[in-house]
Amino acid sequence: MTPRKPLARRTFLRGALAGGALVSLGVPLLDAMLPTRPARADAPKVLPIFGIFYWANGMPWHAGHGETQGQGGYPDLWTPAATGPAYAPSPLLTPLAAHQVSVVTGLEPKTVIPDVPGGQGDGHMRGWHVAMTGAPMRSEGFDQPSHTMTVLQPTLDQVVATNEQFYGKTPPRFRSLQVGVSEARFHDFGHWNAISYTGPDAPIAPVMSTAQLHGLLFNVPGDLVSLGRRARLLDAVLDDAESLRVRLGATDRQRLEAHLDSLSEIQRRLQLTSGTCDMVPPVPEESGDLLVKTEIMGQILAVALQCDLTRVFSFMLTSPATTHVFANLGVANDMHKTCHDGAWEQVRAITDYQMQAFARLLDKLAVKDAMDMSLLDRALVFGTSEYGEGYQHSDREMAVIFAGKAGGKLIPNVHVREPEGNFSKAHVTMLRAIGIDTPSFGFNGGETSDQFSELLA
Amino acid sequence: MRVPHGPPSTLGPVAVCLALVAACYSGSPAGDSGDELTAASASSSGDPPTTSVGESSGGSAGDDTGDPVKPFMPGPPVLPRLTQRQYLNSIEALLGPGLPVPLLEPDTNPYLFFNIGAASTTLSEPGVQQYEEAADLFTGIVFADAPRREALVGCLPAAPGDACVADFIARFGRRAYRRPLSVDEQARWLGMASELSDGDAWQGLRHAVAGMLQSPHFLYRVELGEPDPIDPTRLRYTSHEMASRLSFLLWNSTPDDALLDAADAGDLLSEVGLLAETDRLLADPRSRTAIRDFFAQFLDLGRLDGITRDPTRYPQFSPTMIESMRTEVRLLVEDLVYRQQGDIRSMFSTRNTFVNSELAALYGVTAEGATPVTFVPVELPADGPRAGLLTLGAFLTMNAHETENAPTSRGKYVRTRVLCQDVPPPPPDVDLKLDPEEAEGKTLRERLEQHRADPSCAGCHSFVDPPGFLFEHFNPIGAWQDLDNGYPIDSSGDLDGKPLADARGLADLLADDKRVGRCIVTQLYRHAIGRRDVASEWPALDEVADDFGAAGHRFTELLQILVISDLFRTVAEEEIDP
Repeated sequence: MTPRKPLARRTFLRGALAGGALVSLGVPLLDAMLPTRPARADAPKVLPIFGIFYWANGMPWHAGHGETQGQGGYPDLWTPAATGPAYAPSPLLTPLAAHQVSVVTGLEPKTVIPDVPGGQGDGHMRGWHVAMTGAPMRSEGFDQPSHTMTVLQPTLDQVVATNEQFYGKTPPRFRSLQVGVSEARFHDFGHWNAISYTGPDAPIAPVMSTAQLHGLLFNVPGDLVSLGRRARLLDAVLDDAESLRVRLGATDRQRLEAHLDSLSEIQRRLQLTSGTCDMVPPVPEESGDLLVKTEIMGQILAVALQCDLTRVFSFMLTSPATTHVFANLGVANDMHKTCHDGAWEQVRAITDYQMQAFARLLDKLAVKDAMDMSLLDRALVFGTSEYGEGYQHSDREMAVIFAGKAGGKLIPNVHVREPEGNFSKAHVTMLRAIGIDTPSFGFNGGETSDQFSELLA
Repeated sequence: MRVPHGPPSTLGPVAVCLALVAACYSGSPAGDSGDELTAASASSSGDPPTTSVGESSGGSAGDDTGDPVKPFMPGPPVLPRLTQRQYLNSIEALLGPGLPVPLLEPDTNPYLFFNIGAASTTLSEPGVQQYEEAADLFTGIVFADAPRREALVGCLPAAPGDACVADFIARFGRRAYRRPLSVDEQARWLGMASELSDGDAWQGLRHAVAGMLQSPHFLYRVELGEPDPIDPTRLRYTSHEMASRLSFLLWNSTPDDALLDAADAGDLLSEVGLLAETDRLLADPRSRTAIRDFFAQFLDLGRLDGITRDPTRYPQFSPTMIESMRTEVRLLVEDLVYRQQGDIRSMFSTRNTFVNSELAALYGVTAEGATPVTFVPVELPADGPRAGLLTLGAFLTMNAHETENAPTSRGKYVRTRVLCQDVPPPPPDVDLKLDPEEAEGKTLRERLEQHRADPSCAGCHSFVDPPGFLFEHFNPIGAWQDLDNGYPIDSSGDLDGKPLADARGLADLLADDKRVGRCIVTQLYRHAIGRRDVASEWPALDEVADDFGAAGHRFTELLQILVISDLFRTVAEEEIDP
């Protein structure tokens, strides 16, 4: 298959990218530009999109995070003063105001903290794992030099991507995409540079290169006969694995079976005669600037979503406990150390910058199509971080943002506050908003069947 | 072929913050009892994690308890996937040089080693896709090139499924799977070579090769053992599995035909046969790269990646400085292992090193012939502040922040990397605060001393900080400094109650410390087998360490001692659900 490439659109995009002026393309990704997808235009039901936007090291600390954090007398710049619809945004939420995000404040983990090995209550560990999985971290392996950042349960994006109610029998080309922006990482260890996991010790490394992301999505060979042979070959590979599979103990057998499941997924992808994108954007420039790179990645992601190449993504602006040096903001030390050093004003500036990046991503998803529907209208983008704040690693008052309307299921522009609320109420709310039956969510003390009804239509 | 370098990142200085957190803990009354530090007990995988401060991971079990020494029992098998480098080296061995380097699943290094990550992580779906695309890419290049494919195949296939095709599949399969193909496997790939040939035998072969390169028998090291005729309670590795183990340890690559021939002949089930092949492999240049990679992981040099320093603050810190520091460590270690063939522990005390012009300037030594790209051997001055790796740029820089030193991180490195001692993480409610107001006008050391004044922190900081303070005269890029924050520096400290004036004192102490040799044994073993040691293996590891000491702590001797030990040749039986 030779992808058709509407010239006018490509030309326009190339010009926009070359000039670096990506803030507002002005020209929407029109359905008219996607001639091979009549099904969607006819579909009465809007297919939801689920995404996670992740940033590191929480927010600047205030008295709500704890006694020590309150000693500096620093104000709470995160929590809006009023609750309810049409709340006035707080200073740190102001960058997101144009997208009318809903926000839940006051939430915290409720999971049990195992005594041994020590340190599992630390925000990087407990807060991150609860935000992303609703479960405690895996204790085993934690007492090692790099503090294995590994999960007991799949992360929320993978919960959605593997849920049959979400995708039905015909998932898109990719069940999910993982994208990352800052390459700084806390430990020289893959686990610390990923926020998506399919299970314990099963990280999915985010794509960090804009060219690589572009190639993954759009550089699909057009020779269907050749693709068919490659797919057929995988039958033999799957058969070949069987003699090994039956010789393995439980853990290694699971690892191998996950590999084989992925092979079947690759095989399905090779066999797809449609599902590639007809509107291939030009190969983008790489950028080391976090905001510019967010826009470039966001634009590619928007095309992928528009072409229905996937409906689930995780977007890691900065990795857990990031050591990114925000030299552009006049910060000399890496962010993690900056938090520990108690440099509140610098952490405020960095958090504000990270929220600007979030807004740039949402800008890309907010472009309206011919039906006056944007990707963001269909989406629920969950914005979160690993703990409340990084000075003392408190996991109180954690960040929870819901962007989008989830096809009308999610009510935008509402502030809900529940001091000491269970973080997994947010998970239940999100999963229900995107149409997944969720009797309860959360693990090991974090279980709840409650939702934030104020946010669900 | 080159392994793609990981993306640049800013990580070196950073492990420090959590390191500081991790060090601040007083969970055990044994916390600061330095005189008991040589005693080691359980902190290995599988055991209840009862580690407390000062316990060594994988030490001589039982020595301090008075229990009788338990006999050696082998640990469980693992299923390591090939690391990036092992995969690329194997591809080059199978298909020849000059192929492009594809995108591959990133390696991870829990417990320092990629082999442990490869044996514990699950391959992601993008990683599976990358293997599929790489197999298509490689075979596309090789089989589109007539001379190249003929050289590879060694005969001219006339028709799909003919003798040439069958013979090649058997030969290639043996190389790829590191053992002869089974009858089923041979039939499977022969069948694919016919079915997917579309009348062109070359095309069929291309697909058969692409299939084998995606088989778990190639991508994973399948070393599960067979009944051991001399001990029914355990398994031994088969002769072919031993070929794979030797080759990945000594070459970080797949066995060559000679090694597979030795395996076919059963030679690798005997000490004589193992030592003969070990000598052959060590004499090959591939072993140098493999040993270099081991030391880079053992010394945690990956943390140098992406380190940045503000040039206005540190004008000496050029864009090439990190690579210069890394190269220095490599040259120093290789000199010790190959040219000097000396006591490997002396890497922490030797005054011999290798500098280019910018390192010479950083250390303030004259180095005739040094240029930005030429490293020359130098002997650091006998009355100078530096001797050994712990006084050189790489260690000092990767254990510091952007703007200030990290004595806790440096001390933790001495404890965990050099001596293999464990420092557990802090309790959940620990107060991490170093009061900034109180810090005004003080040296970093004086501010850190607050940790030791706080009873909840004293345990670990008393363990980690005193050796870390020894390096306070070296700034965050490893240059000498007289003052810290404008105040005179106190670089005195101690290790386990032995007072030391500075880093040179520590170097002298480490030069003859048995724990350093024992630690290298533990780390090499973990790297070699792809998992942490378990308690039942410690008696045998102690024996290896004794033999290593008797051999003058020469590293190549350690490799020979290890490969013929039962540790490397036997394995416990895995329980398998039908």
